[in-house]
Amino acid sequence: MRPDGPAPSKAVKEQTKPERPAVADAERNAMITDNLGLAHQLARRFLHRGEPLEDLVQVASVALVKSVDRFDPSRGVDFAAFATRTIIGELKRHFRDKGWAVRASRRVQELYLELGHATSTLVQQLGRSPTVAELAEMTGSSEEAVLEAIEAGQGYRATSIDASENEDDPLSARMGERDARYDSVEERALLAPALAMLPHREQTILRMRFVQGLTQSEIAATIGVSQMHVSRLLAASLEELRRHIDSDTVE
Amino acid sequence: MIEESEVAGSSTLGDGDRVVLTFPARGDLVVLARLVASAISVRVGFDIEELEDLRLAVGELCLLALQGSDARHGDLRLEFTVSSASLDIAGTLVGAVPATARRSADGDEANELSEQILAALVDEHGREQEDGSVRAWLRKRRKGPLA
Repeated sequence: MRPDGPAPSKAVKEQTKPERPAVADAERNAMITDNLGLAHQLARRFLHRGEPLEDLVQVASVALVKSVDRFDPSRGVDFAAFATRTIIGELKRHFRDKGWAVRASRRVQELYLELGHATSTLVQQLGRSPTVAELAEMTGSSEEAVLEAIEAGQGYRATSIDASENEDDPLSARMGERDARYDSVEERALLAPALAMLPHREQTILRMRFVQGLTQSEIAATIGVSQMHVSRLLAASLEELRRHIDSDTVE
Repeated sequence: MIEESEVAGSSTLGDGDRVVLTFPARGDLVVLARLVASAISVRVGFDIEELEDLRLAVGELCLLALQGSDARHGDLRLEFTVSSASLDIAGTLVGAVPATARRSADGDEANELSEQILAALVDEHGREQEDGSVRAWLRKRRKGPLA
């Protein structure tokens, strides 16, 4: 009996109900009362998904009642195990029915954007970079949710939100932007082997452009070629890098 | 430069990849297990509902691994193994001493609930004694072929 399978229609339920052993009202009430704690415990496991605990407890409690009504002792299954599966199935169905999966990813994106504003505000208020705990408090989220939003929102970039800041370079100004100086560990790990495949001159030009931050004209003056030639070499080198990385990724 | 989406898209975990996480066996650090489980779920292509199931499940797995021992001095070692068919997670408590009888009895009820929750969230799960400590494991099957 799958907890997340389709619920039987009312007609089916009414047909099948008399076939099961009848549970006396007093016994039924006792089973419900005895297992309300279980319903609460399971509801709490689904917190932090944007639904209030009271709603979750209500869903779990209704599911508990269903469990009692559907439970067939003659099958030799432990009631608590049966009820747990039913209640979790109903809680999951509750989130599915509310389009939670779509809202959840949107919620992460929204929280990420919200963190940018919260960081900016807290930097002004505190005169220093805020901690994750402070951001969580300000956005009304858990620390875990903040960490997840940072990871998801930054597309796996390794820039730390706790990185030290100064007034000229607030974190909020950097959130969501790309900056060659802060290219992620992941990107650099991916680039290093591909970079090594390039001729020495091309490697040098790429480093001068993206590591040292020189302009194409400055590079041209340094290595004694025209700026146009540097531009072509850069474009060809980047194309070559892409090809290496794509082939590595496919493998 | 490389586009962001290209970098993110290449961040997959493939058949045979293994991630090991070891941390002091404290309840307040189970968040680490959930965060790693989330990150791995994304990289093996689980959808967000499967990801949330796994986050819940790995929390229960940690509880199972912690029960039955005095974890104050131990570490919790989680091993995430990716295969073409599933993501397997095994949790073992390392360096702890057996719990007192009272704590073991308390733990039995918690274990039962955790196992019931795991049964509802993952495809397979189990718990066994291994080298004097508890090894709890779960398996969440992948719907599609390996990315």
